[in-house]
Amino acid sequence: MSEIPAELQELDRTMRAIRFSPRSSLGAELLGRVRRGEQPGPSGRPLLRPLMLVLTAVAAAAAIMLIVPSQGITVDRCCYDLDGGGDADDGVLVIARRNGPVRRLSIYEDQDRSGHLTPDDIIRFTRYGHRKTVDWNPPGLTTITHCCQDLDGGGPADDGVVVVGTPPDHVAQAAIYEVR
Amino acid sequence: MPVHTPGPSVAKSYVGVAPEAAAAACRRWYQAYGEPLYNYLRFHVASPDIAEDLTAEVFLRALRKFDRFDPSAGSPRPWLFRIAHNALRDHQRQAKRRPTLSLGSMRDLRCEAPSPEERLLWEEEVAGVLAAVAELPPKDREIIGLCYGSELPISEAGEILGLRDSAARTRLWRALARLRKLLAHE
Repeated sequence: MSEIPAELQELDRTMRAIRFSPRSSLGAELLGRVRRGEQPGPSGRPLLRPLMLVLTAVAAAAAIMLIVPSQGITVDRCCYDLDGGGDADDGVLVIARRNGPVRRLSIYEDQDRSGHLTPDDIIRFTRYGHRKTVDWNPPGLTTITHCCQDLDGGGPADDGVVVVGTPPDHVAQAAIYEVR
Repeated sequence: MPVHTPGPSVAKSYVGVAPEAAAAACRRWYQAYGEPLYNYLRFHVASPDIAEDLTAEVFLRALRKFDRFDPSAGSPRPWLFRIAHNALRDHQRQAKRRPTLSLGSMRDLRCEAPSPEERLLWEEEVAGVLAAVAELPPKDREIIGLCYGSELPISEAGEILGLRDSAARTRLWRALARLRKLLAHE
């Protein structure tokens, strides 16, 4: 602190001369407290700490509510007779928001009998979030419904799949629905 | 007086520290830094009793965080002063919520004055200086407490406050200039 401005030097000297001494027994008292395992007092802002905990919990809950539903889930269920072919070899692949809107729905034939969709399977039908219209009306259309299981990842087995097509292997339209 | 034997409760009290090791560290640290810490705190509080309580609190907090101190990183001094800084801040918050009247005693003031009259004059001067320090903005009080109270080198005071050497120096000069102004108006 050598370059202290000249006008502050006197005050600097006064400040340096101010010295205090704690009571001489403080060190010994402190050691006694340490040997007894005494803990320090509460630190931080006692009033704010519970508030911070509550706010953190609320923020975490909000984050869970916002993040979890937005996570895409994939449900692959097999094997049923959905195309009217007679064999329980069809599967449903659903990509959806958990317990929310469906982003993709595919009906496939489990060619390799693996019990789930693989590259060897044949996808009979796919629709995305929007409604897929059918611009033709072939003869012999049949509607096959299968209910109920969890197809949207919501938890309860309350979803059904409805497939409209012409047997044995043509699917014209499909949708999943939730039973209320 | 019965001889105290540290029991298992003591062993559990300080994270990762055997009771005797805690006591030994406390003794060592208090001998080396007890008085500078006390002086640092004393520059911020009007009563010796509060400064003594806070000094003890600093060491108890340090022992609780004993496992976080890395002796290979050097002297524990900056670490202890950071703990003191936080303990003081907590105390000031509590004092705001529960204001108490301080007697402002100077019983702990060191004085080489040969006569009682000179001692009284010195006490009056110091009381005036500390009262003026208390009127300064918190940042000024902090740097003054660290540089004069604890007698830390300005570079180390700056380190505790997260300031570079030159910034700490500038802050100290400005704080002193404001203090001088306040004292001139008394």
